[in-house]
Amino acid sequence: MGTLLRAAWHIALKDVAIEWRTKTAFASGLVFAVLVLAVLFFSRDPTAVSSQDIAPGALWVTFTFAAMLGLNRAFLLEREMRALDGILLTPAPKSAIFWGKFGANLVFVGTIEAISLPLFVLFYDVPVWIRLGELVLVIAMATIAFVAVGTLLSAMAVRTRYAELMLPLLLLPFLVPPLVGGVQLTARLLEGRPLSDLGGWLRLIGAFDVAFVTLAALLFQVVLDE
Amino acid sequence: MPPSADVVLTATGIARRFAYRPVLVDVGLTLRRGEVLLLVGPNGAGKTTLLRVLAGLLQPSAGHVERLGAIGMVAHDAMLYPALTARENLRFFARLHGVDGRTRVDELLRQVGLANRADDRVGTFSRGMLQRVAIARALLHEPGLLLFDEPLSGLDAVASRTLVELLQTFQARGTAMIIVSHEMERLGRVATHMARIAAGRLGPVESLAGRSAAAVFADLMREDL
Repeated sequence: MGTLLRAAWHIALKDVAIEWRTKTAFASGLVFAVLVLAVLFFSRDPTAVSSQDIAPGALWVTFTFAAMLGLNRAFLLEREMRALDGILLTPAPKSAIFWGKFGANLVFVGTIEAISLPLFVLFYDVPVWIRLGELVLVIAMATIAFVAVGTLLSAMAVRTRYAELMLPLLLLPFLVPPLVGGVQLTARLLEGRPLSDLGGWLRLIGAFDVAFVTLAALLFQVVLDE
Repeated sequence: MPPSADVVLTATGIARRFAYRPVLVDVGLTLRRGEVLLLVGPNGAGKTTLLRVLAGLLQPSAGHVERLGAIGMVAHDAMLYPALTARENLRFFARLHGVDGRTRVDELLRQVGLANRADDRVGTFSRGMLQRVAIARALLHEPGLLLFDEPLSGLDAVASRTLVELLQTFQARGTAMIIVSHEMERLGRVATHMARIAAGRLGPVESLAGRSAAAVFADLMREDL
């Protein structure tokens, strides 16, 4: 276990260091997030649809598609000089690659979300700050589910010719449950309903977290084996 | 092969298919400490596939590989991260090997002649420099067996000579090596044995003791695989 955690830690640190240095996926994710929030805001008819009505959907569309940009890059950076083979030649357990990538992807997606949230408040004028802790919990829970399955599927997609196209196609069906849960919970929190009323949705997202993380970790080795 | 020193690798009955196409057919070999096998063959013969199976990067469809000790590999791709410096790349892989990174990394960078470029991103390196960093990466854990896939490919004459000298150093230390290459003359000075692979089948392994690589190659070409 110690070897696994140490290897996963080094792999995660390496990914974060590369992204910090290059900022390629981060910059594109952030620009994308700002564009989506702005376009959705300005595309509505303000006399017919209030900003609070479309806010939850806009937030989760932003998070989801900005996250996909980062998830795609997670294994593309291993493909450029086949660096992943270098890792596979070490004694590091293959599952450490999953946990390391998962951790780094959570940092990347979490950073995009943390920067997008104030922009979301700016555009949509929603009372986020009074429910901030609960909203962060909901965002974290949904993010864990789609980053886990996204990490697995990006490892699969990178081996195909059209990796950037394959990941969204493979990922979207798996995104539906945490995304629907995230949107519903966000909408109800912004309406002022207490978290205790939302137990059903929270349990649903929690179940998907456990299921997706477990399945992704178990299946990852199969994806890596050639 | 003469009896002797420790066996570092044994492969028996190795087969590998991609979809329904056989790429390796019943390949077997044994390599001992200090032996350097030069593997030649036409393009598409299965040389790279065989190296990847021996390294454990590919699972064979049949057969068994027994690796008695650590293996390092230098492939056509450098297996490095372009955005990281040479030192950062080597320290990362050293940590995964459980090796004390700082001392070993600095020593290897000196050995491959890149100490003055240690803090430059490998994405800015020439092909020859990348090969040297890749060799340093393969040596981090002091493997008993090194696998090389076309190590002189894309290198100029000076870089090729430097690399051949490095390989001679490893050979003198008793490191076993399997080298896939078309450069028989240059690498014939390092190799102790040669074998030919064609259409996925490995021919007999011939000793280079007292003979030129060209003469041994001519004999190997007479074998019907």
